[in-house]
Amino acid sequence: MDGHFRAFSFVDRITSVQPGVQVRGLYQIPLGIAEFPLALAAEAVGQLAAWSAMAALDFKRRPVAGIANSVELLSPVRPGQTLELAADIEEVDFDAVAYCGTAHCGGIPVVRLNHCVGPMLPQEDFDDALAVKNRFELLCNSGATPGGFGGVPPLVLEQTGCETGKWIRANLQIPATADLFADHFARRPVFPGTLFMHKVLELAADVAGGIAADGGKWIARTVSDGKMRTFIPPGDMLEFEARLARHEGNSAVVAIEARKGKRVTGTSRVALALEKNS
Amino acid sequence: MSNENITKEEIAAIFPKVAEIMADALGCDVEKVKPDSSLINDLGAESIDFLDIVFRLERGFKVKIPRGKIIEDARGSLSESEFEKSGVVTDAGVVRLKAFLSEVPADHFPTPLKVAEIPKLFTVETFCKMVIRQQRAAAPAQ
Repeated sequence: MDGHFRAFSFVDRITSVQPGVQVRGLYQIPLGIAEFPLALAAEAVGQLAAWSAMAALDFKRRPVAGIANSVELLSPVRPGQTLELAADIEEVDFDAVAYCGTAHCGGIPVVRLNHCVGPMLPQEDFDDALAVKNRFELLCNSGATPGGFGGVPPLVLEQTGCETGKWIRANLQIPATADLFADHFARRPVFPGTLFMHKVLELAADVAGGIAADGGKWIARTVSDGKMRTFIPPGDMLEFEARLARHEGNSAVVAIEARKGKRVTGTSRVALALEKNS
Repeated sequence: MSNENITKEEIAAIFPKVAEIMADALGCDVEKVKPDSSLINDLGAESIDFLDIVFRLERGFKVKIPRGKIIEDARGSLSESEFEKSGVVTDAGVVRLKAFLSEVPADHFPTPLKVAEIPKLFTVETFCKMVIRQQRAAAPAQ
């Protein structure tokens, strides 16, 4: 089946929308997948905000990943659960959208996005505007058939250097082909910023894992100052460097930068908390 | 919109907060951010950083800054066709721009000046002035 609007789409239904103001929706995490990282719950909130922003501009522009002032990671989710999504648009115009939002699961907050900004780019560069508009109508009416997402593709960080508890360098080979590229985006495949964030979280946990934890475990709590500087096409090789920026007692901050050659692709900081084993 | 009456004292008053916002957005030390620092050439800002900075300034100073505001204000009373032709700033546009961006040394203006290159001229002070203008615009009339 064609992966368009399925392979990397995380809104099944829009339950209420005021274009350019606010939007609410639902997403059912498919049962058959191994995991659903919180980075993808953040993706779902971002996609919901994108629908409201695009509707405000008659689908002539679409947002792409840009800046996440902070993403709070509040509670894990699992396949089979339904995300209740909410986004409030702070500003939208032909150049950018600013929004905040949350995903809840059974009334419990799982992620909160604060002050996110996405550049608004010509829709036709990424997708067929009419098809996007028709999809919006479907989501607002009967809703889409759940279950299109087939899981996170294999993304292996290959460590190239480290100083335990201080820094790690690693390479990430972006797959040249993956189902998600049929949907993100139909006319211009781009590696999603939230999957980038997923790997950032993994690296941050690896760096913090080298700090003496006295039997506890470091848990990522907030991603802040996340910024995507370039599009990442299929097949690219990214070089990550994750460095412990601060460590005081039960809290740590890891700063992460990814490059392709000399060009910085993305940056962010991850705050982690040490949770003691009970 | 005139900017000649923006005083050095007004700029100095908001500069520390602007510098802090810029440093946060660009991930650099605040000491590196000087009033005459060029955002692109000295601080390494890219287009996504300009978006970031504008939104952070909006939140930090509680003002609205429409995207493209600097160039729109710089154009002043000139129409778009009087300001630029085929992506190149006209002579009249350059005169207007030099007056508007009075903080930028005249020899930093290349000839010809492409519209797309205007952001290369922007300094930290340019953004301080933009915030002050927006604060004034938002203030109730006396």
